[in-house]
Amino acid sequence: MRVISTLPFTLLRMLKSYIFLLLLLVVPMLLLTFFYFILSDAVNESGESYLYETAISQVLVFQLFGGSIVMTFIHYDLFTKHKERMQLLPFHLPMYAASIVACGTLFSIILGVCLMVFSHFVLGVMLGNELWMLVIICLMAILSSLVCLILTFSVKSFKLAERLSEIYGIGFVVLAGLFFPMPQTPFFQFMGSYGNPLALSIMSVKEMNRGNSSEALQYACILLLAIAVLFVVMLLTGRRKWG
Amino acid sequence: MTIASMRGVVKRYGSYVALDCIDFDIYEGEIIGLLGPNGAGKTTLIHALTGLTPVDHGTVSLFGQAKQPFSRQNKERLGLVTQDITIFDELTAKQNLLFFAGVYGLKGKEKQERVKEALDFVGLGDKGDKNPAKFSGGMKRRLNIACALTHRPKLLIMDEPTVGIDPQSRNHILEAVKKLRDNGTTILYTSHYMEEVQAIASRVIIMDQGQMIKEGTVEQLIETIQSEEKVRIDVTEPYLVPVNQLEAIAGVKQVAVAGNQISVISAAGSGNLDRILTIVKERTGVVGIQADKPNLEDVFFTLTGKQLRDRGERE
Ligand SMILES: Nc1ncnc2c1ncn2[C@@H]1O[C@H](COP(=O)(O)OP(=O)(O)OP(=O)(O)O)[C@@H](O)[C@H]1O
Ligand SMILES: [Mg+2]
Repeated sequence: MRVISTLPFTLLRMLKSYIFLLLLLVVPMLLLTFFYFILSDAVNESGESYLYETAISQVLVFQLFGGSIVMTFIHYDLFTKHKERMQLLPFHLPMYAASIVACGTLFSIILGVCLMVFSHFVLGVMLGNELWMLVIICLMAILSSLVCLILTFSVKSFKLAERLSEIYGIGFVVLAGLFFPMPQTPFFQFMGSYGNPLALSIMSVKEMNRGNSSEALQYACILLLAIAVLFVVMLLTGRRKWG
Repeated sequence: MTIASMRGVVKRYGSYVALDCIDFDIYEGEIIGLLGPNGAGKTTLIHALTGLTPVDHGTVSLFGQAKQPFSRQNKERLGLVTQDITIFDELTAKQNLLFFAGVYGLKGKEKQERVKEALDFVGLGDKGDKNPAKFSGGMKRRLNIACALTHRPKLLIMDEPTVGIDPQSRNHILEAVKKLRDNGTTILYTSHYMEEVQAIASRVIIMDQGQMIKEGTVEQLIETIQSEEKVRIDVTEPYLVPVNQLEAIAGVKQVAVAGNQISVISAAGSGNLDRILTIVKERTGVVGIQADKPNLEDVFFTLTGKQLRDRGERE
């Protein structure tokens, strides 16, 4: 398992990718701070503070984009810039790809935890069951990595694959109704709840905090199911790409 | 002993033949130079030799294995310095090397020593903790080379390792390559720079348009074109030179006038210089005379009709 020796370096490379840190850590921190000042003590109809709600969705929204770093690293290391050198190294290339995915997912989870810590200790927002939230963050990070991998494997142009991954992220934010309310048709209702990983993750965290653990678990299971399906799709597209 | 060989290798890109029936051997302990103009197929040849590109025809054998030349075991004995710089910009020079050393299975103290050795080898010993993003082009090139050295490959393939670097870095690299050879590494060295190849290679392959046009030691190659002697004379009034009279001299093959310069090519050993000069001096003033001793560049030119590099490319 020569690949294991590369793990620390891959993770280090990710932690030094300042663009990703800026987009996935600094931007959400600034947004959270902004909301902290404008929402202050406002509460919604069920008596939960808006800030609590916003903090949860902010942390989870950015998990939709976490896979982009996996995508970039896979693209450069396996298919373009470093391709030749990597192909000549005495290790199993798909294992190296898997190690990048693992590091990228961990990277995304770490950023999620940073945002939680920031919300909790800097802004003083109580997030409720933080352990459960961490579980959900993990599921979201894995999901995003898989989506980005499938796009990298199946779309010929990398630029297009990148755009599509952004559409995945922004699309589900919009469909979840976080920007503006969605039409109340069955399709949009489904895409704003069970058909939307972001909505599922937010609902799961909130339900857990309300003490409805069976519902929280149910939402998490849907995410898990999506992960299982996408994992198979990822294997199929990956195999086709490698021929 | 043969370390690598190709037999009848053909590689096509669509209808374009990038490698046209390539045959050659690399022997243990030699530095073999691979010369060719842009697009000759050098990189394609290297990719075919290392298994990075599948070939359409023919066989490749590495370390005596023709059945599975690209096995993991063989990969461990192979080092490739890529034509493009392929280092990790986010890692320090030392971390870059640690990454590769680890993949080759080096561990602990030995790994640290090999990394230091590789850094020293390319003259970056004091730059280990620096980020290559801040390196000069030459330093990046040298780090790119070091990445292929930590595992002490038996066969090192260098695809234009000195492109676009300062003379100091180049000399350092050339010395390092010779030192590697002395330590028992076999090296395939590709370059645009004749002088480099002439200085280090024990054998040279000349390629053009996907074909191997000549192969031999530098001396052998020069001998093949030494059937001719070339004299260049700079004169004051070239239009007065009696070209027919020069052409009539026994052994003269060709007379050409370009600007103020007359070149006369004669068969080797014809000893025509005196006669040529006498005739020319009767009519016009002579400003300069050059009797060329052919070098690798002339060999290349004679064989391909091309300069290896554009004039503008030279420093
Ligand atoms: N993947 C490819 N698809 C199509 N044509 C290719 C491909 N790779 C190389 N070629 C063509 O094959 C020919 C040989 O290219 P190659 O890169 O081997 O030349 P080279 O001798 O290394 O040149 P240079 O000195 O510029 O590096 C070129 O005409 C190039 O356009
Ligand atoms: Mg090339």
